[in-house]
Amino acid sequence: MRLSLASKQAIFAYAIILPTLVILATFRFLPMLQAFFFSLTQYDLVHPPKFIGLANFVDLAQDPLFLKSARVSLTYVVFSVVPVLPLSLGLAVLLNRSLWIKNLLRSAIFMPVVMPAVVMAVVWTFMYQQDGVINTILGWVGIDPIAWLRSSASALWAVILIGIWRATPYYMVIFLAGLQAIPADYYDAAKIDGAGGWACFWRITLPLLKPTTLLVIVMNVIVAMKVFAVPLIMTGGGPADATRVLPLFIYQTAFEFFDMGRAAAMSVFLFVAVMLFSFIQVRMFTRGEELR
Amino acid sequence: MTSSAVKTSAQPMTRRTQTRGWVRRVVRRRVTILAFCTLVGVAFLTLLPFYWMFSSSLRTMENMFSIPIQWIPDPLNWRSYVLAWQAQDFTRYFFNSGVVAIAITFGNLILCSLAGYSLTKFHYRGRGVMFILILSTMMLPLEVTMVPLFLIIKELNWTNSYQGLIVPFLVDGFGVFLMRQYMLSIPKDLIDSARIDGASELRIFWIIVLPLCKPALVALAVFTFREAWDMYIWPLIIITKDSLRTLPLGISLFMSSYGTSWDQLMAIAVLGTLPMILLFFFLQRAFIQGIAATGLKE
Repeated sequence: MRLSLASKQAIFAYAIILPTLVILATFRFLPMLQAFFFSLTQYDLVHPPKFIGLANFVDLAQDPLFLKSARVSLTYVVFSVVPVLPLSLGLAVLLNRSLWIKNLLRSAIFMPVVMPAVVMAVVWTFMYQQDGVINTILGWVGIDPIAWLRSSASALWAVILIGIWRATPYYMVIFLAGLQAIPADYYDAAKIDGAGGWACFWRITLPLLKPTTLLVIVMNVIVAMKVFAVPLIMTGGGPADATRVLPLFIYQTAFEFFDMGRAAAMSVFLFVAVMLFSFIQVRMFTRGEELR
Repeated sequence: MTSSAVKTSAQPMTRRTQTRGWVRRVVRRRVTILAFCTLVGVAFLTLLPFYWMFSSSLRTMENMFSIPIQWIPDPLNWRSYVLAWQAQDFTRYFFNSGVVAIAITFGNLILCSLAGYSLTKFHYRGRGVMFILILSTMMLPLEVTMVPLFLIIKELNWTNSYQGLIVPFLVDGFGVFLMRQYMLSIPKDLIDSARIDGASELRIFWIIVLPLCKPALVALAVFTFREAWDMYIWPLIIITKDSLRTLPLGISLFMSSYGTSWDQLMAIAVLGTLPMILLFFFLQRAFIQGIAATGLKE
């Protein structure tokens, strides 16, 4: 049988996308569906899963540890996302002007993105020590030593600070790309009309960066919801559960207490939360598609 | 900075109308200096952990928390590197991390560009749906799916294996998106004329399309390698055998067993960061482009 040229091409097109589809179906979509299934069961890896309906969710709603963990995650997300926004945008604007040794400064500020998360946890744990470098520097401006990771009042803030340190340069790069996409003509025209730098920023830069800003918020929220390595290594969730973010609690429930059903129910909860934000993101990714 | 500021203000005024321009320039200068100082201050904050990691790896334990704090280590303590390296099988961990990160990177380069090619240069049923499905995996973080994924890997008997570390990550929604966006700009005529010349489809992809995608491929490679090198939660779940530990696992284990030997811990931290720093210095553009691409929109 001879195939037409068009169907030969179609077969080729299907064939080259097939491995991607198989891998994503097996290792992304299938586990997602299973998470929904396991969330309705009691499963300890030894006995077969037992269907218990919504009992896991009912339990979670009354579990003070889970509620605390959800609250910790929410605090982490809010306070590691909100400051990053003006910081990363501000740095991007500063770096977008012609400046002496600009490239060197940009590279220096970008460096936190280069540090692996585990290394970050180790190095900051060291810096947060009672006699460590951070308390020393704070001492220069007259601030008394802080017990950072040892106190349940400050541990979460210590972890949030690292999140900001790491995320700011990352989103700065995205904002820089957004800034460079704004045509210089706009600014030239505004200058002819007598607009100053401040007016240009509010009237041109910010409105045109709106899509980028929205995207940065969404990405940042998702990344913040996933934080895991840093709190696990630095505090193990403590002291007094102060840094037990949801992914960490899921991990401990599943792989330390072997309560797979309950962990899956928490995953579903996290999924719904992430979903809310991702939905906006995917809409932004595909908006142009629909219009075409 | 100051010397150039003086030079500007000392320029002779040739016309009166330039006076206002001169005032504006001085204001601009001051804004520039302010911007410069801010950026230097921020750079200090971003670089401090790097400097502190490196200098502490060379500081002796007696001087680790000395008062006043010792900014430049003296005497130098290079032995921390040797001791740390020997305390655990770090050669093995480095090797494992390298194998896993390189395999995942190559897998993504090949599979993402093939998928991107299929999604841009062919018309077939279900193409739009496939693209949406692939995109939607970007919103399925591993933290959500890790419990069932672990059970799948266990079912496959892939715990404590390279396959278990590599195969689930051989392709990624973001990578496909990145390659697709880039390939949209490749003219269809180029491919059609190669077809008329009788080149096979695979050959067209390999000889014509891939070389044109080089910038995107390099950006994707650096981005993927960084993520793979950084991977922690997944190996933590499926690896229990020491001989299969990746470097992040090794470092966190070292932290829990040698938690107060800060000199050795910092030495290992330096070594674990070094590949990323080298990658950044040699492929800085690609490194930044890969991250800028995560902010891509259509």
